[in-house]
Amino acid sequence: MTSGPYNYSYIFKYIIIGDMGVGKSCLLHQFTDKKFMADCPHTIGVEFGTRIIEVAGQKIKLQIWDTAGQERFRAVTRSYYRGAAGALMVYDITRRSTYNHLSSWLTDTRNLTNPSTVIFLIGNKSDLDGQRDVTYEEAKQFADENGLMFVEASAKTGQNVEEAFLETAKKIYQSIQDGRLDLNAAESGVQHKPASPGRPLAAQPPARDNCAC
Amino acid sequence: MPSSDSEDFESADEGQSPDKKERKHRLSSSNYSENSLENNLEHKKTPNSANTLEKPEENTNEPTDGWDDFDIDENESIEPEPRLEVKSKTNKETVKKESTKSEDTGWDKFDDWDQDVNTSSTKIENDPPVPSKQPEPDIKEVTDRLAAASTKSSGWGWGWGVDSLLSTATAGITTLTTQVSQGLTTVLETGIGAPDPEELARRNLRDTEATPSKSDDVVTSDSGKEETDVPRSTSETAFPFGSLLSGVTKFVETTGTKVISGGLDTLETIGKKTMEVLQDGDPGLAKKRAMLGLDPGDKPVLSQVLREAKAKAEEEDRIREEKREAKEVHYENLFDDFEGLVHLEALEMLSRQVTMRLDERIQAAAPEKRQDIKETLQQVAELCEMPEEDDDDEETPAKDMSKADAFHERLQTATQDLGLKLQFQPLIKQYNDILTWLDTSDADLTQKAVYKRSVSGLAQATALSVELYHKTAEMLLVKTRRSTADEADALTQMTVALTKHIGDLATLFTEKLNSIPTDNKEQNNTYITNIFLEAGNSSTYIQNAFQLALPILQIGAV
Repeated sequence: MTSGPYNYSYIFKYIIIGDMGVGKSCLLHQFTDKKFMADCPHTIGVEFGTRIIEVAGQKIKLQIWDTAGQERFRAVTRSYYRGAAGALMVYDITRRSTYNHLSSWLTDTRNLTNPSTVIFLIGNKSDLDGQRDVTYEEAKQFADENGLMFVEASAKTGQNVEEAFLETAKKIYQSIQDGRLDLNAAESGVQHKPASPGRPLAAQPPARDNCAC
Repeated sequence: MPSSDSEDFESADEGQSPDKKERKHRLSSSNYSENSLENNLEHKKTPNSANTLEKPEENTNEPTDGWDDFDIDENESIEPEPRLEVKSKTNKETVKKESTKSEDTGWDKFDDWDQDVNTSSTKIENDPPVPSKQPEPDIKEVTDRLAAASTKSSGWGWGWGVDSLLSTATAGITTLTTQVSQGLTTVLETGIGAPDPEELARRNLRDTEATPSKSDDVVTSDSGKEETDVPRSTSETAFPFGSLLSGVTKFVETTGTKVISGGLDTLETIGKKTMEVLQDGDPGLAKKRAMLGLDPGDKPVLSQVLREAKAKAEEEDRIREEKREAKEVHYENLFDDFEGLVHLEALEMLSRQVTMRLDERIQAAAPEKRQDIKETLQQVAELCEMPEEDDDDEETPAKDMSKADAFHERLQTATQDLGLKLQFQPLIKQYNDILTWLDTSDADLTQKAVYKRSVSGLAQATALSVELYHKTAEMLLVKTRRSTADEADALTQMTVALTKHIGDLATLFTEKLNSIPTDNKEQNNTYITNIFLEAGNSSTYIQNAFQLALPILQIGAV
């Protein structure tokens, strides 16, 4: 578990939400361990995963909060939205009910996070295309209407999993660069880590937009 | 970015093409433009430069001056025709100003250089320019010829000279390019004698006609500035050539819409020529450098510098290595790695949420009930007070039981009234791992290794304990039937068991340390002290977690 070097510049908090059984924990495992867990036990409350990625030459630690999908934990998991920089909202393309609940998840997300939180919609289980119950087009339309990023992914095959996590990070990073996301705000979901001494360069926020001349 | 006050950045946002490449170019051009403005500022004191010179900040509000706007204008002039008209006027003004300015300063600097060769550059800048007779004939000659050239080609009279020529050139048509090229040719030939200006101009012209592509505009105009910067800064010291050059380069910019990648080469050549001219009779610019105070008095020896750099690098490596080592045994980092911190954070969020709900309940309750509720909460809190460091009457576990199993049983006994299925396995497994490690580790185990393992072991045990509280809190919150008293008692017992576990771990590790024969007793004592320090740290974390769970117990009672 000791994930080694501490030379990342930022920590982004992600939260994964969605109905029970849509594969939230499996997506997380696929992303952090590149493995598919066939028998994923029900998540209790929230579990965590981390991975250090690189965006625009900056090392970023993703601190991912994988919430329980069970309805009974809903009150508990609502406590965890705060300060998330990214929210991955997952449904199961083979179960329409999980898609129908999205607006409720979206409402929670909008109410409990800040406006700059990046919301990414994931239609999981894209490997089960034969059992598809939700078309790509309608989900895409839902995403567009609500200003969400969207992919269909498969935690089993790993298809688009990496993309979803990385694209979210890129968007967040862009928000930082554009000044839309205030790092000093307590709820931004982003922490700026001072660089470890060995990597002075990695810590510098890029000077590109910092033209103070 | 908070500190981004560059107007360029804003304008880049507003611009028609958000293309990154272009933005980058703009940014770089802004660098140069600021520089050139600074150059202008330096000349501000010269009385002849009557034009208003803006500081870079003022520049933001002033649409007609400065390179920044200039740049933007150009980009805007890509737009439909009517606008182009207006913009090129602006350009004209800019050019006019710039060239007069630089012309003036060019002369001034010429004087200064003549007279104050040995003074520092700051002195020069502060000195009021002394009008000198000496260079005037030359100047007159040059300008006269230039005027003649202009007249020849376009029919303008003296008095406009390069300025008007150039400003009209902004209309940006090939014929004008020809004029300017001729003007340039004449000037270069007669005034300075720099070789091959015709070729330069021809190339310039050819390229102008060849590629009026839009995408090239930016490149060219930017590079134009780039080049402008060179002759300007150098010409300060000496030469009227500089002013003409800056006029020429500015011309290239203003006609940016039509101009072209080839202009870059031209400008580069001009820049090089300028350097040649500047270095004429002053190889390596030694005199000018000395005058500008660029060379430090005593030059450091190269080998010395390299030696110092090497020593410095080695020192840095050493420090880096030490820090890395320190981090490896840094309790908080390890605690974070074992997810202790994030569980604590989540528990804190839950705790805060529940506390708010408790407050709401108190507020919502009838006034006479409020006191009751508060008393209940108080009672729960009292139930959760840690027992005194009591009886050491260890319920000595059965002899055949391993330490880990004993610990497991203690935890289970403590929490049996909680009514939850808690996962103690990770804690037990970790305990077993440590016990095995301590038993089987080979003879040449160093103190440091034991110390590292102890800090990591304590951090992990603590992280797992905090996770236990977090999970307990979550499960209590979704539990349908609450029995607060039992829960409070169970959690208190669990806390006792966990803190005792931490103490046991610390003892095991220090015993191991003491069992290693050593001649460095002092180091050993430091390690032992640290281990107990970290164990204290662990207990604090655990008790904090317990306190954070308190509102979750309380809310079950009201």
